[in-house]
Amino acid sequence: MAESGDSRLTDASHNACSAALRALPECTPDRDLWPDLSRALQSRRRSHRLHVLVPLALAAGLAAFMLWPRQTLQLSLPTASKPTASNPAMGSTELADLQQRSQSMERWISALSHNAAQDSRDLMAAVEVEDLIGLIDIQLGAARDANDALPLWRKRVRLLEDLATIRASGASIAAGHFALTSADNTNQRIN
Amino acid sequence: MCGQCPRRVRGQPWTRPSPGRSGASSEIVATIFRGTASKPSVSATSFQIELPDTVLAGARRGDLRALETIYRAFERPAYTLALRMLGDAEHARETVHDAMLRLFERVAQFRGDAPFWGWLRQIVVNEALMRIRRERGVVLESLPEDDSIAGNAAEPWASADASNIERALARLPALTRSVLWLFHVEEYTHQEIAELTGKSISFSKTQVMRGNQRLRHLLEAETSRNHEEITPWLSPATAV
Repeated sequence: MAESGDSRLTDASHNACSAALRALPECTPDRDLWPDLSRALQSRRRSHRLHVLVPLALAAGLAAFMLWPRQTLQLSLPTASKPTASNPAMGSTELADLQQRSQSMERWISALSHNAAQDSRDLMAAVEVEDLIGLIDIQLGAARDANDALPLWRKRVRLLEDLATIRASGASIAAGHFALTSADNTNQRIN
Repeated sequence: MCGQCPRRVRGQPWTRPSPGRSGASSEIVATIFRGTASKPSVSATSFQIELPDTVLAGARRGDLRALETIYRAFERPAYTLALRMLGDAEHARETVHDAMLRLFERVAQFRGDAPFWGWLRQIVVNEALMRIRRERGVVLESLPEDDSIAGNAAEPWASADASNIERALARLPALTRSVLWLFHVEEYTHQEIAELTGKSISFSKTQVMRGNQRLRHLLEAETSRNHEEITPWLSPATAV
């Protein structure tokens, strides 16, 4: 009885807290953020245009990546060479490999079409994975030595693979849509 | 009143900011705002703004005017959410900037199978949580599990004004404040909060419960201090 009285009290307190927080006014930034945003957008567009001029070899690499099963990618990860205190050279080799792989994955991902449609779940998942990569980068910034950094670089590469898979699925959808549209157009011309 | 944004003149109606502040398609923005009715307070519905298809189509093409329309439409709910989570105006501005930039870079990929506002809100929340992690050196500060404040005093909510509540909110740890706001105002479930913060569902529940208690306690202190400031002649220290 007393317990149900307590829970009613808690519920009432919860509701009162909710109501009080919801009653707070909306806020507006004290200066207009649009001019900065607009400038940043335009400068990113300029740099994106440069990326579009990247050689066709990259596109070929991208196509190969999309056709490659995910398992193959995972197999190619250098997971076997974990660093040990007795073999620090092996650790530094793995670190260099991971950093190189990380760079090439980033190039692949940035070369994927920014206009490829993705469903909302994929978009949210991509944002989530990018956040996690950002978090890893913060941790890497605080890493004291290679032993600290190595597991973080492994995580980073795995996350980049996840991101590439998510983004590539959108690109595949876009490619499929393009193929269908082309086929439709061809059929219309034939008919 | 929000302590970190321009103050509303008491007695005058609360209105959304001027949509055409720098030449956005003001008619479209006015239509959007008519659909969401100006209101003086925050709720999950503040974010629930439906954009016309023409705006989304323009944004997908990269039309700057359409992007500006989106920014103008969501500026206040996005900034309010960031400010309430972070408790700092400068960080909130940067968070909105980063979130909008991210949204604009991806908007061409948005297929429209879920509400646009939900996607944007998720990006703002993620950006704010990222910033909290960065500022706190990855470890998120929250109220400890055993933080319990007994309080049998009458609920202070009714007697507290907005500035008291804002000051009390600002004194909570950033993660606790964020969890409270996401749960009470943005109506996220404990499951969703757990996923966002990378913690357990019971963590979310505990933070909401302890946060409520702590906020109430801080509010009692705030209101009693206000009362003493307003009526110093009642204080024993000044009584003759």
